[in-house]
Amino acid sequence: MKNRKRFWFIFWMLVPVFSVVGFLSIYPTIKGFILAFQNYTVFTFNRIRFIGWDNFEEIITDMDFLMILRNTLVWIAVSVFFQLLMGLGLALLLRKPFKGRGLYSGLVFYPWALSGFAIGLLWSWLLNGQFGIVNDVLIKLNFIEEGIQFLSNPDTAMLSVLIVNIWYGIPFFAIMCLAALQSIPDSVYEAADIDGASGWAKLVKITLPYIRPTIISTVLVRSIWIMNFPDVIYGMTRGGPAKSTEILSTYMINIVYYENDYSKASAVGVLVILLLLIYTILYLSFSKGGEVEI
Amino acid sequence: MKRFVILLIVLCLMVTLLGAKDITLRVIQVFTSPERTKILETIAEQFEELNPGVDVEIISPPYETAYNKIYLMVSTEQPLDVVEVGDWSLAGMASMGKLESLEPYIADSEMTPHLIKGVVKSARIYEDTAYVMPNAVYVKTLFYRPEILEKYNLLTPPHSMGELMAYSKYMTDADKAQYGFDWRGIDPVNFMDLVVTSFFDDIDPQCMYKTTDGKIIFEDPRALEGLTFYLDLYYQTAPKDSINWGFDDQINSFVSGITPLLFQDPDTTGLLNSLLGEDHYQTAPLPVGPSGKVYPTFGFGGWGIPNYSENKEMAWKFIEFFNSPEISAYFCKNYGALPIDQRVYDNDPYFSSNIFAGWQHMFADPETYRFTDYPLDNPAWFEWYQLQGETQQKILLGRMTPEAALKEWADFWKDAGL
Repeated sequence: MKNRKRFWFIFWMLVPVFSVVGFLSIYPTIKGFILAFQNYTVFTFNRIRFIGWDNFEEIITDMDFLMILRNTLVWIAVSVFFQLLMGLGLALLLRKPFKGRGLYSGLVFYPWALSGFAIGLLWSWLLNGQFGIVNDVLIKLNFIEEGIQFLSNPDTAMLSVLIVNIWYGIPFFAIMCLAALQSIPDSVYEAADIDGASGWAKLVKITLPYIRPTIISTVLVRSIWIMNFPDVIYGMTRGGPAKSTEILSTYMINIVYYENDYSKASAVGVLVILLLLIYTILYLSFSKGGEVEI
Repeated sequence: MKRFVILLIVLCLMVTLLGAKDITLRVIQVFTSPERTKILETIAEQFEELNPGVDVEIISPPYETAYNKIYLMVSTEQPLDVVEVGDWSLAGMASMGKLESLEPYIADSEMTPHLIKGVVKSARIYEDTAYVMPNAVYVKTLFYRPEILEKYNLLTPPHSMGELMAYSKYMTDADKAQYGFDWRGIDPVNFMDLVVTSFFDDIDPQCMYKTTDGKIIFEDPRALEGLTFYLDLYYQTAPKDSINWGFDDQINSFVSGITPLLFQDPDTTGLLNSLLGEDHYQTAPLPVGPSGKVYPTFGFGGWGIPNYSENKEMAWKFIEFFNSPEISAYFCKNYGALPIDQRVYDNDPYFSSNIFAGWQHMFADPETYRFTDYPLDNPAWFEWYQLQGETQQKILLGRMTPEAALKEWADFWKDAGL
């Protein structure tokens, strides 16, 4: 009797949480999956039916699909790698106290507080081939004679959006790494000093192993975010020119924006979920044993 | 204390009851911008003054997501009384079966005899029924900067596509950051088509993409000539960056004088008046092609009434008020659009000034400026809009030949049953 009462108490306590999560997270996901197999477009609001795998077939047979997939992989891998590398470097620099550290940290971390779309728009103007300030400065310094078409040339467009995304994401890695660094006890470094360890040895043998769990989880979270992060690209190129900066998440937006085909966009969403699921399983199995081993 | 609280509650109730309006008219706009919202709010206030008891609520979703929001709101029958719909989205919206036919209202309205020719017809995109009443029309014309042309001793605007090319080439000097034509790489549909079809003399008055004998234009050798000409405008007279230009970039380039020749709609006038001033630009008719003709289209934004609205009569009253000569003149002047009521052109000198020379000339010569329609009722339209832009960029980047693009376009429309 007492157990039953306890069960119902726990049950009712959990209902609000599950209702919110169910309504805001689970229901849209299930609805997205269902939509992916329907023909839900503006023209068929009154004639919605299940159409099997047609949406997926249409996406996969799109001549540009492989390019979009490749762009997505490049977008994630390059962004995460450099954000991690530079974020970690920044955190190491900021670890030891120095005069004005608070102000400096604030300035360094501020891009993270801005909207990604605003960043994209801002940089699209900075890098504008005709009126952009970057070109203006380069011309005045006599580095170039005429403006570089940063966002109009497919060869430089991807590089440009990547650089902006890396710049934008460095603070997040820096914040996470700095928090982890500050949790390493000083006594460990003192012991290493007594043993005569070099700076490199301390980094490789103490610092990195200590913050490894943070790095693993941050890389995972960031990869997922970056895959689902169309803001910078959308603000800068909208996936162009000729889809050379199109990634799956901008592709999804463009399908809704141009074709008003919610089902096809949902099918892209389902593909994104599947790809992320595969990535997460592989990533976690390869990086097994995130515990500190010293 | 208790008495004070009760008194306060009673007072609050009284204020609420007295302040409550009988009808709340919920109006949602699509082409949202801060300036446009202000204009609409001013008009709404005037309507409220004339109709005590009516509260007009203007809903202004950001333009980029406005259509999606309206589709969802209308499909789920959320309270809306007046919805704005653009011509390109009308068929999609009407096919949902949620818009009221406005034919009976239009038939009985006193404004109908004064509407400019073709306005109501152009709204009958879906099932030959007017599901919206246009509130303004948009037709592309040639905008130019007289003072810049004069610097090159070009004293009249280009009259033909050949002259457009010659003028643009003559002015282009990359070292001085001076170019000719204000090219557009993103969403180029109504720019490329104007040039390509000007090479034809037999475009179907009902469909931009068909000739009068029913063939798809992209299979005709003249389409290749037109497309090659249009691409040459980019290669020889436009900044390379314009492959990535949309509306804002075009306007910036025109205002800064980098590209003094621009094809655009009348909503550009509002912006140009504030950024440049009325004396620094003019309009001229679209240049004619080798056929001696050019084929513009009537675009429009309009108001519709959801068929589940509980305030249909008041909604129509608002639409009529919005289109009344005075209000229409105020809206079109400040936002930049062509009024749908002939009386506005007759009574307001602004609409016969130099700024409107291009349109006046085109409307007066239907033989040369042959209005046609886009296949907006075709479900493939939205996909086309994207496809044409992407293939255009692929051609410019050397990833596709013009011939292959034309074949893809022809196949696309054949598959779409045009």
